[in-house]
Amino acid sequence: MEERVHALLEEATRAILSASTTAELEGMETRYLGRKGLVTELLRALPTLPPEQRPRFGQLLNTVKAQLQQQVEQRRLELGQREREERLRAERVDITLPPRPLRVGLKHPLTQTMERVRAALIGLGFEFVDSPELDDYRYNFAALNYPDDHPAMDEQMSFYISDTRLLRTQTTSVQGRVMEKRKPPFRIAVIGRCFRNETVDATHHHTFHQVDAFIVDKGISMADLKGVLAAFARQMFGEDVQVRFRPDFFPFVEPGVDYAIYWQGGWLELGGAGLIHPNILRAHSIDPEQWTGFAFGLGIERIPMIQYQIDDLRLFLENDLRFLQRYGA
Amino acid sequence: MRVPIEWLKEYVPVQAEPEELAHRLTMAGLEVEAIEHDEGEPVLNVKVTPNRGDCLSMVGVAREVAALYGLPLHHPMPSARSTEPGDAVRYATVEIIDDDLCPRYAARVVRQVHIAPSPDWMQKRLIAAGMRPINNVVDVTNYVMLELGQPLHAFDLDLLPNGHIVVRRAKPGEKIVTLDGVERALQPEMLMICDATHPVAVAGVMGGAETEVTPNTRNVLLESAHFNPTSIRRTARRLQLSTEASYRFERVVDPGGVVCALDRACELLEQIGAGEPVPGVVDVYPRPARERVVTLRPDRCNLLLGMDLDTHTMTDCLRRLQLNAELRDGVIHVTVPTFRPDLNIEEDLAEEVGRVYGYENIPERLPFGHTHRGSDSPDTRLIRPLQEAFVRAGLIEVHTHTLRAPGPLDDPTRPLVRVRNAASEELSSLRNSLIPSLMDVVVHNLARRQTEIFLFEVGKVFTVLDGDYDERLKAGFAVTGSVFPPGWDARYPAADFFTAKGIVHILLETVGIEEAQYVSASDPRFHPGRSAKVLVGEREVGLFGELHPHILEQLDITRRTVLAGEFDVYTLWSLATQRVRYVPLPKYPAVLRDLAVVAAEEVPYQQVEQTVRQAGGTLLESVRLFDVYRGERIPEGTRSLALSLTFRSPERTLTDEEVDGIVQQIVQALEGIGARLRA
Repeated sequence: MEERVHALLEEATRAILSASTTAELEGMETRYLGRKGLVTELLRALPTLPPEQRPRFGQLLNTVKAQLQQQVEQRRLELGQREREERLRAERVDITLPPRPLRVGLKHPLTQTMERVRAALIGLGFEFVDSPELDDYRYNFAALNYPDDHPAMDEQMSFYISDTRLLRTQTTSVQGRVMEKRKPPFRIAVIGRCFRNETVDATHHHTFHQVDAFIVDKGISMADLKGVLAAFARQMFGEDVQVRFRPDFFPFVEPGVDYAIYWQGGWLELGGAGLIHPNILRAHSIDPEQWTGFAFGLGIERIPMIQYQIDDLRLFLENDLRFLQRYGA
Repeated sequence: MRVPIEWLKEYVPVQAEPEELAHRLTMAGLEVEAIEHDEGEPVLNVKVTPNRGDCLSMVGVAREVAALYGLPLHHPMPSARSTEPGDAVRYATVEIIDDDLCPRYAARVVRQVHIAPSPDWMQKRLIAAGMRPINNVVDVTNYVMLELGQPLHAFDLDLLPNGHIVVRRAKPGEKIVTLDGVERALQPEMLMICDATHPVAVAGVMGGAETEVTPNTRNVLLESAHFNPTSIRRTARRLQLSTEASYRFERVVDPGGVVCALDRACELLEQIGAGEPVPGVVDVYPRPARERVVTLRPDRCNLLLGMDLDTHTMTDCLRRLQLNAELRDGVIHVTVPTFRPDLNIEEDLAEEVGRVYGYENIPERLPFGHTHRGSDSPDTRLIRPLQEAFVRAGLIEVHTHTLRAPGPLDDPTRPLVRVRNAASEELSSLRNSLIPSLMDVVVHNLARRQTEIFLFEVGKVFTVLDGDYDERLKAGFAVTGSVFPPGWDARYPAADFFTAKGIVHILLETVGIEEAQYVSASDPRFHPGRSAKVLVGEREVGLFGELHPHILEQLDITRRTVLAGEFDVYTLWSLATQRVRYVPLPKYPAVLRDLAVVAAEEVPYQQVEQTVRQAGGTLLESVRLFDVYRGERIPEGTRSLALSLTFRSPERTLTDEEVDGIVQQIVQALEGIGARLRA
């Protein structure tokens, strides 16, 4: 009897180890350890043994059963792992195939630039307001101290809708609108589309975008203007950017300024600025002895053109998807 | 203006290298755009701002250079030599009728003129400065204009009856043939130089062909005058004739230098042997310009510049510019010479001080005092959430043209605003809708073999409304392509009406509009059966749909569906409801029921859903359509709508019996609109 048990153990062990799949292993488990399995049958035969032998054989059979169960479990783990590995190997994909494209929305580079400009100026305390694109001659020129028919308008050829209405040539047109309604001190900014009736080429367009900002407060000087422009330029172009001031002429400022930044080895003009002309303050019942102010403006397109070295202004309104996808975000 | 440095040095002994000189001038406001070369000699290309007409000459630029380098200025004719009429009056007389447009007119006479080429040195300078030599007399007038900034004109004196000059406005119907051979009809507001009967020159713009100096000319009348800048500007523009003379007169020529320029021209003519000037000048100057005194308070100067300069520095800067500056009672009094008409107020003088001292020396400072909180504009607060909604929906933002040619995609209900002075049809009207310009972009990109075009724009559109111009914000989109971008292993159906409706849904949801009605649109730009007006309550907020095939044909778009839509930004937001509020997550389980409802094709889904919701009451949490079936298994002319209903109570777990009861009510209600449960 004992020999039969040992032989069975040996046979079952071999069978379990030789099982090459979990399915085969399950067959072996049924054959030896199942309800009608060989080990189970021997256990069932215990009552037929003489009573004095029963405890020893019982113990032996239980040990063998436990041993086999352990072997089955271990083999199951081994086979399971191997089979999973095989399955994963079979599931492998060519990871160098191109990605599945997703539809990604983007903001236009000009919108992104305007958002950066807004953030910078809001941080400097400017309150943005809205101003119409289809404006009055009065706000666009007359309220800005342009004498009638002055050569300064040569650079601002306008699209006229009627004798008195035109598409604004500069966002500076907001100044008169604000000063009519509000009393200083104020810090105002406006951003938006402007139009000039001129020939389109890589650096000129009849449609473009500008930002204008101005302050009226006590004791505002050219030094404040320089400080604000420098802070603004640093936020837009980086901490070590240098700002240059030189005299220039615009009818709505005196003194007038042209400002530039030093960028990749040269001075790039950004826009015009200056102290608000006392005629403008006076025309809006603001006493220039008590209040002074500055104003500055610049072209929005200029900023991404400098940053990304875009050499053609026309690209912004052409909206070629290949361009937008490169600079959009 | 082209300034040959060799010529400039005749008036100011500047030794600086051209690059250094260019930098200094630029930093002082006279921008040197380029250093060019003419036969190896450096020439500065100076951009003169419109307020500095005095710098449109060699002496004017030399004056700036002298100020910046602290050098002396050698003026070739610092004051007039001819002060009396002398013999000149025997040959020439001048009568100014319209002295509002011509405050001063002076003439000198040169006799025994021998027309010949001018000397080489003069021709070389003229060429270097960008002018073409003609003959000795004309070249001298141009030379003096370039040297002193005063345009001169030479008439053939023998062709002027009695040497009589009349300065007056043109009379109705008058004409003149100008030096360029063009006959020009004159307007009554144009100022003319005339003989006793008719115009012989367009004042300040161009001479007439009739009295032109020719090889036969023996006697010359030289004109030097001061004209009203606005008058010259308008005349030049009306005649579309911009000349070196009109350019200068528009920018104000020194009224005090009128006779100096004549004397200088006569001196040169004599010097080069071109003729014999008659002594004396005919100078009509009824109200001579007076020198102005402008004051500058040193404190004010420092306040404006944000600097701390002493009065000595200020007066020194001003004096260097040939301004007579004196400190009296703590205030700087500046006598402004007639060549600087741009200096009128204290701020102008502060700028001159800053300019000469150097803007680069102004410190940087941040304004203090009143504390301000920066903020976005009201419109930006409406625009940005819409931009972001479109971006979430996978659309790419574009900025398109406001100015367009009228076209079939314009909104037929909104009259176009027309540009009065458009250079071309392409720029002749303001868009009244975003759809036309969005479609321009679609066409542009299709032509570049882009197939997935999902675009949006938020921008201004214009129309005429109640007799005034109306400018408002619209949010628009145009899409064509697949529902999802095609990849290497998957293809998707083409985006259609319902793709567009999905975009619209995101837009409405962003604004906080929960209930909207979709009503058939009757807009000729859209497919009549695949477009909708969107109503919120009674208000129309926008429309969208498939573009009409007829329109696509006109745009040469074939075998493609294009969807577009446009919404009114202000109206959308005015209908927004408070959107974000806390709703607790459900505590009790939901009971789900699916219904397949068969109804005639004509019964709109919206009616079915509303019927279900009304009958379902408060315990019906949601209705979701998950399939639409048409086919053999149901009667022709009907469709089956498969609905998934979710029932839930916030207070308890619903029983099956309860839900079955509600479903029964729903089925009955559906029968009321002719819909049955699918067998």
